[in-house]
Amino acid sequence: MRTDNLYKVIKASVEEVIEESPLIKTLVLTPESPFRFNTGEFIELTLNGYGEAPFTPSSSPLITDKLEITIMKTGYITEKFHKLKPGAVLGMRGPFGRGYPVEKFFGKEVVILGGGCGLAPIRSLLFALENVKDKLKRVVLCYGSKTPSDCIYKPLFSRLNTIDKFETFRTVDKPEPGWNESVGVATILLDKVNMDIENSVAVVCGPPVMMKFGTLRLLEMGYRDNQIYLSMEKNMSCGVGKCGHCMMGEFFVCKDGPVFTYEEVKSLPDLWK
Amino acid sequence: MNDIYKISLEEWQRLVGSLSSPYDIFAPVRKEGGLDYSLINQETAGDIVYNVAKPASPVKIFFLPVKLNVTVPVNHLKKTIIIGAPACDIAGLKLLDKIYLDEKFFDGIYLERRNNTLIISSDCYTIQDHCHCTTYGINPYSADGCDINLSSDKEYIYLMPYTEKGDLFIKEYIPANLIFNTGENKIDTISGLRSQAVNSLNDRNKNLPGTEETGESMKHSSKETWKKYASKCVSCGACSAICPTCTCFLLIDKPDFEKVKQLDTCQYPAFERVAGGEDPLKELSIRFRNRYLCKYVWKPERFHTVACTGCGRCIEACIAKINKNELIMELTP
Repeated sequence: MRTDNLYKVIKASVEEVIEESPLIKTLVLTPESPFRFNTGEFIELTLNGYGEAPFTPSSSPLITDKLEITIMKTGYITEKFHKLKPGAVLGMRGPFGRGYPVEKFFGKEVVILGGGCGLAPIRSLLFALENVKDKLKRVVLCYGSKTPSDCIYKPLFSRLNTIDKFETFRTVDKPEPGWNESVGVATILLDKVNMDIENSVAVVCGPPVMMKFGTLRLLEMGYRDNQIYLSMEKNMSCGVGKCGHCMMGEFFVCKDGPVFTYEEVKSLPDLWK
Repeated sequence: MNDIYKISLEEWQRLVGSLSSPYDIFAPVRKEGGLDYSLINQETAGDIVYNVAKPASPVKIFFLPVKLNVTVPVNHLKKTIIIGAPACDIAGLKLLDKIYLDEKFFDGIYLERRNNTLIISSDCYTIQDHCHCTTYGINPYSADGCDINLSSDKEYIYLMPYTEKGDLFIKEYIPANLIFNTGENKIDTISGLRSQAVNSLNDRNKNLPGTEETGESMKHSSKETWKKYASKCVSCGACSAICPTCTCFLLIDKPDFEKVKQLDTCQYPAFERVAGGEDPLKELSIRFRNRYLCKYVWKPERFHTVACTGCGRCIEACIAKINKNELIMELTP
């Protein structure tokens, strides 16, 4: 992060644009100087003169000369990002916030519940967990998307299934011909995973409705409040706890999160709104 | 007790006039629309109004301008003196400092403006209809948080420095032969004026609950009361703009990766809306409630200080005539 001025960017050029699904693309960026981040931390990505938006890198935190940002087309600025071609120059601020406490997962089973574009930060986490897999008992990814076409990072699943200790489960709301995995909301996958709950942590990242029902299901399964890690989606803007757009009760999501335990946030009013 | 320096009003006015060249001096003067800060020059140094509550604008406007390019350095920022900031605004500034001068992410632009400015706070001997600082533990005179505190009577200005910057200012600019020893009887006069203001504030606001009680009531409040008051709100954001502790802003992107910080408020629709369309503050009553929960519950939890200084400006600025103190009394059994 630039310490001379919190609001100034470092530049990054677009090296490649990967189409992940009809609505989701990944920009492969080359920052002008090595860029280090911890998995789960986020950046503000600036389109010169138009605006900026927060994204958690989807690439490995071990790689510092490239950065991948996965973007769902949902509005004005994301539509502009989708139109970018290799060679475009963007601005980046960050990294900001508190990411996943990977060291706290050591010696445990990790179940990860993801939905839609929520798989972006999870992919980065999976890279980080792969790097320390000797210290983990088991990593189970449960991922839900609307349709098989909306399922992103398709090669990731086949690769993860070849890695010792890693397992994946997928579901879709609406199947298409050839789909032979689960059908239904993402939380149904939790019924299949058979975790050693006492010795486990859960990570949830996805749309608010999935965050809510995923968390409630995990609690029903016996997970304690401090075993559940949530990646909160808020309108982070300044990234440094000043602009107020991401305030969630006493927390500034940009500074105190975006990763929280359920224990930290459960008493906030309208948490899932 | 800090040293008190006494200078005749006439000499003080002459001094302020002469300093208006090396400094930008802002002080309250009576204008058509009421009392507000004005840039002072030789001719207007005598128009400064002392020791009455309160300029229309909060002192935050000098440190958080409505719009500011935060990526282009400002060259030769002129040194500034603010005279007449009321104690409620000084209390607000302490919270701004906690937010903007956070150890890990201090805002250099805010810091530069703070360092560049000498603040001379002034006692309030008269109060306005909606002033309620004492209910929130703030006296109508500053004992810290400013560089110098100013009290006055008809003949003299009394200056009490609270910082090294304030001390240096007095030593540098006030000729020793103009400084008089303060007589105890004069201090008694000032103490009397202060006590009168405190008593008047306490009496006027005797039914208004304190900050902790207010915060607790808000935590357990019914949505119906909020809806009742919010039904009159038009989300104009005047309450936030005029509030000494509302500091939220928007970053606007300009060419060459420049960014302009513009004051914003949670009262505007879409303040918290995320790309997917979810908007926690979509409903007006939730948005309306958010500002009060922020002030009386969340900021105290976060910064150990309530984010309302009792200045009453939000009540005066509200075009829907929403009186937040009436709301608070209704929320508190």
